[in-house]
Amino acid sequence: MADKGANIDLLFRNGLKDFEVLPPPDAWNNIFPVVRKRNRPFVYLRAAALMAVLLSLSFLAYRYGIIMNSGNEDRMIAVRDNPVTRTGNNARPGILRRMPVISPLPYRSTERMTALAELDNGNQMEEEVPVQDNTLQETASTLAGNTALLMPEMYNTLPGLSSKTYTFAPESDNSDFEVFQSPRIREGRRWSLIAGGSPSYYLQSDLAGNDLTSQMKSGEQSRLSYSGGVGFAYRINKKLSIQSGVYYASVGNEVSGINSFAGFRPFDLTKGDRNFMVLTTAGRIYTENPDIYLVDKAGERVLTRYTNDVFDPFKSNLSYLSNSLYQNFTYIEMPVMLRYKVIDKSIDFNLIGGFSYNMLVNNSVHTVIDGTRYNVGKTDGLNPFIISSAMGMGIEYSLSDKFSLNLEPTFRYYLNSFSDMNSVKIHPYSFGVFSGLSYRF
Amino acid sequence: MPDIINIIKGCLDGNRRDQELLYRRHAAKLYAVCLQYSGNDDEARDILQEGFIKIFENLIHYKNEGSFEGWMRRIVVNTALEKYRSKHNLYRVDDIDLIPEPDADPETEDYAGLEAVDLLDIIRELPPKYRMVFNLYAIEGYSHKEISQMINISEGTSKSNLSRARIILQKKVTLYTGINKKAISG
Repeated sequence: MADKGANIDLLFRNGLKDFEVLPPPDAWNNIFPVVRKRNRPFVYLRAAALMAVLLSLSFLAYRYGIIMNSGNEDRMIAVRDNPVTRTGNNARPGILRRMPVISPLPYRSTERMTALAELDNGNQMEEEVPVQDNTLQETASTLAGNTALLMPEMYNTLPGLSSKTYTFAPESDNSDFEVFQSPRIREGRRWSLIAGGSPSYYLQSDLAGNDLTSQMKSGEQSRLSYSGGVGFAYRINKKLSIQSGVYYASVGNEVSGINSFAGFRPFDLTKGDRNFMVLTTAGRIYTENPDIYLVDKAGERVLTRYTNDVFDPFKSNLSYLSNSLYQNFTYIEMPVMLRYKVIDKSIDFNLIGGFSYNMLVNNSVHTVIDGTRYNVGKTDGLNPFIISSAMGMGIEYSLSDKFSLNLEPTFRYYLNSFSDMNSVKIHPYSFGVFSGLSYRF
Repeated sequence: MPDIINIIKGCLDGNRRDQELLYRRHAAKLYAVCLQYSGNDDEARDILQEGFIKIFENLIHYKNEGSFEGWMRRIVVNTALEKYRSKHNLYRVDDIDLIPEPDADPETEDYAGLEAVDLLDIIRELPPKYRMVFNLYAIEGYSHKEISQMINISEGTSKSNLSRARIILQKKVTLYTGINKKAISG
């Protein structure tokens, strides 16, 4: 019997060897070009490299901030741009080497340097007198009203410059020196805590331009998305600050033209197997709900064994749900943004640019009937990591010394697509307006 | 004509033309495998489509070692296996005991005239469990231990299914070749 068995085995093995049967002509049309990215194993290396760059950038920014901080006091006295000309009887002699802090003022380096140069050339210079810091306070206390003279410590740090002694005339109505009173006392606060959110509207740019992606793209609309979270910012200097944080972002697509029906469970013989696959630009939707029946009204985006010729949802009295599927993708977003202050007034204007690292944490597909969500399944083939670039303009309005309101219209471009398929090169981009509250400390 | 290495490279780059070329070259042979593992043409087509999707998805893992055709065939067989696992409990095979033992001795029989398409038809008439075990054991060369793990049955069941599959096939082959005239007339 064993020989008989071996013989029959050989009969079939040899007989079917190299046997070929032409598949149905339409079989190829339903095979989606899904080729995983060749460099997929390097995704983690890329992520590690990106993190290293970001950490390096943060470290450099921190170091640069320390240097700037040590060489430049923010709290200072400023002077007018006018030349120092006051001399004569009204002059009231005084000696000042290094001015104490009288009042915090806006940073006006050009004025400071102008004053220094003018003073160097002026007639009031008398002699070099070293003055101890403890005497400075006393000297300062004797200064009348708003009259003061600038000698920031930067002066002492500049090569070739030395301390000078100056006279000044404090009682003059037209005082040449003026103390600028700052509208905000915030220069000493380098850190900010930011909380806020942003609605965004997504669009997609098709870089591949092939028929298949165009067909899929034409049936999809981006949905209004939102993000929110908390972040922190570190002010490197008066103009530049770096910002990061953790944000929760929810984006999605509406796939239209796919009719969904409920009540398919009694006809489903596969116990919740993936009965339907829907081709989308973001990936392949697989049904996980055995009660769902899907059919593509016009195209061939739905792949299933339950095709129209073997199953009719209307004859089987299935309940029609909707003609759209909704894909939801949830990302944790970690941005690193640089902001450059263009206007520093009570309302600040900033230019903002940077990158965000987005990690996919969840995805789902649902349809809606009478406002109620009906779970369909999930999308396979989503890119687990996405990097996006962002640029925009920020408006910051100070509510108080510590709190300010932020409004940041931002354009964001995703450097890779939602789908991890090479053949689908659809890069989303979005417009959003981030609004939030920041707390300086 | 581009060689298979260039086609694979093109597929990895997402070139749809190369993907189609790969499909055109190998679809017929792989579709025959699908038919061998399926009970109907629709199921075979599904296996072929899903199999090719997996082939494209997993090309990155192909190390250019061994036969590329063999590598694709294994993917298709695994796809058929997954499909089988998802629905094998839908089929009943208990009535197989009613099939009588074949009268003829295959060692002495002449199978001339039996073509591959006949063999394919015969094998597809097997109940799914028997067909799966027979394909995996006789055609693919897996052991009963491996088969038992693949389709979650005991080794004894695998052997039993193989034995019964052989009996049925022997019977069918005999009928097809017309050797057993009694069986045909009966």
